[in-house]
Amino acid sequence: MKEKLSLTIIIGFTAFIFTMVMFTQFKTIEQTDITAIETMRETELREELARIKAEYEEVETKLNDTENKIDEYENQMKNEEDSTKILEKELEEAKMYLGYTNVIGQGIEITLIDSNRSIESYDLINLVNELKIAGAEAISINDNRIVSTTEIVDIINKYIMINGKRISGPYIIKAIGDQKYLESGITLKNGYIDEMKANGKSISYEKKDEIIINAYDGNIEMQYSSAVE
Amino acid sequence: MLYLTIILGCILGAIVGMRGPIIPYTYSSYLAIAIIAAMDSVFGGISAVIKKNFDLKIFLSGFFGNAILSILLTYLGEKLNVDIYLAAIIVFVGRMFMNLGVIRRYYVEKWFGKISKRSNEENTKN
Repeated sequence: MKEKLSLTIIIGFTAFIFTMVMFTQFKTIEQTDITAIETMRETELREELARIKAEYEEVETKLNDTENKIDEYENQMKNEEDSTKILEKELEEAKMYLGYTNVIGQGIEITLIDSNRSIESYDLINLVNELKIAGAEAISINDNRIVSTTEIVDIINKYIMINGKRISGPYIIKAIGDQKYLESGITLKNGYIDEMKANGKSISYEKKDEIIINAYDGNIEMQYSSAVE
Repeated sequence: MLYLTIILGCILGAIVGMRGPIIPYTYSSYLAIAIIAAMDSVFGGISAVIKKNFDLKIFLSGFFGNAILSILLTYLGEKLNVDIYLAAIIVFVGRMFMNLGVIRRYYVEKWFGKISKRSNEENTKN
């Protein structure tokens, strides 16, 4: 009887331990997230590590590539900045040539006094031509800048029109350029001044170290022309 | 009495196991092998009861000994990089099926024996 009781207890205890372990296992398997890193086996971890390493290398090479590209772009940008500066300089120069900027420099100032409307447009045209031959860089007549489209015409012997504006005497012609050349250009023997004086017209000139010539205030527009490709 | 104790033990074990802490996943493979070994012992014990040569000492030593031994073997296999636990599973599960076969045969024979006995008795009555 006693033996049977102990047998019963031992068997019961065994069953208890057995089911307890089994349910612990069930619970463990059920509650564990197999994708979590803590639950991975060593081999799985190694595979993961290798994969991440490969990925890291890939990303690193990509990063290097991108950095190189950025460097390239930066260099390009620098070059472009340089070329932009050059272009700006060229534009500035072109504007100066065109007469779109106020300019200052040494030169000569010629005054024609118009008595009895004796000064005609031809006198001014000739003077401008003479100055241009002498190397004038900028010319103005009564503060009207001479540009490529400037006309100098008589209007029914009353006025002279320059850049669409009527002007009358006295005419002050300013020219920037080499003073010596400009002076000798008009004071040649039988040159402009001699001719004017021979015709009884009053002319005087003055060399100046600082002459300011204002910009052309109109617009030069190309309506019918376009560049030939 | 015995069956009642077994059922009681099972219920208590289930409750404690469900309430108890979980073990780290790494060790759960060892525990699984131990459970397989214990199950093998249980079926072996049942078949021994049927064969009427059940010995408590042998049952208990098989129950705990096999479980511990299988855990040790699995551990060793892991250290040697050999999947020894596969061999343990094959052996234990194979023996489990053998013992289950013994149990099944016993109960089938018992059942059909009863039926044929009854029909024999009825035949003799008639």
